[in-house]
Amino acid sequence: MANQEPGMKFNVAIWVGLLVIVAIETVIALQHPPARTLLVSLLCLAFLEAAIGVLYFMHLKYESAKLFWSLIPILLFVLFMMDHVWADAYRMARMSLLK
Amino acid sequence: MSEATVGEGHAALIESSPYGIQSKKLAMWLFIVSDACTFAALLVGYGFLRIGSLNWTKPFDFSPSIINALVMTVILLTSSLTMLAAVGAAKAGNRPRVFRWLGFTMLLGAIFAAMHLREWFKLFSEGWGLQANPMGGDPQFGATFFGVTGLHLLHVVSGVVALAVIALGYSSKRLDANHVETAGLYWHFVDIVWMFVFPLLYLMNMR
Repeated sequence: MANQEPGMKFNVAIWVGLLVIVAIETVIALQHPPARTLLVSLLCLAFLEAAIGVLYFMHLKYESAKLFWSLIPILLFVLFMMDHVWADAYRMARMSLLK
Repeated sequence: MSEATVGEGHAALIESSPYGIQSKKLAMWLFIVSDACTFAALLVGYGFLRIGSLNWTKPFDFSPSIINALVMTVILLTSSLTMLAAVGAAKAGNRPRVFRWLGFTMLLGAIFAAMHLREWFKLFSEGWGLQANPMGGDPQFGATFFGVTGLHLLHVVSGVVALAVIALGYSSKRLDANHVETAGLYWHFVDIVWMFVFPLLYLMNMR
């Protein structure tokens, strides 16, 4: 993964790309889709922005592959483990309905 | 060839980094991963309370709230670009340009923080608080919104202070390009966190 870092023109292109993704997020939100659809689409776009930011702005793409594999999988694992609380959130909502 | 992070006399005692980077850069990456978990936990907590609530308030109109947040997003993204320019100038050894680009980055960070505080005080004046909801819905909106954005704002402000220290240190030749790059990692992380905060806390709560 370690290779030569790009110049400023490439960074500006990445910056424009990120602005475009923000604009897409806003346009999607303005359509007022169902909450679940809005959440999934916004999260996907946010993770795409984060990946672009980490790889290019933070230059992880140009660092040793060992660094990438030491940091990112464990972070994703922690995020995955945090995602086991949602069943309890829905249970809380159902309990509120029953009151 | 390994890079020693201590002076020449101690070089023989330093093992080469397994990642080919200086210790301070590795330490910053490890801090960033842990801080990402912290923000993720806060956002999951926000999501948990929101899903569990039958009466969640969506207080933000497109104008002026979402437009304000959009401008803040553009400012923060632009500050990442100026930070990249500073890192590039540092690697080229151009000290005046580094100082200038770091100055622009700090200025944009300060503007972001000022806009954020202005938004906070507007919400306070409307009756919003950590446990106060003037629109009559669940009070957890305030706690989650101010909690998440407050932690992010703290990161932005401390980042601006850190960049000032780096700028002064680099200009006086006490610090080198690696310090600028390491500070840049932190600043980009703060921007990336906002890429989650903006859609989840602003766009998801748009009326």
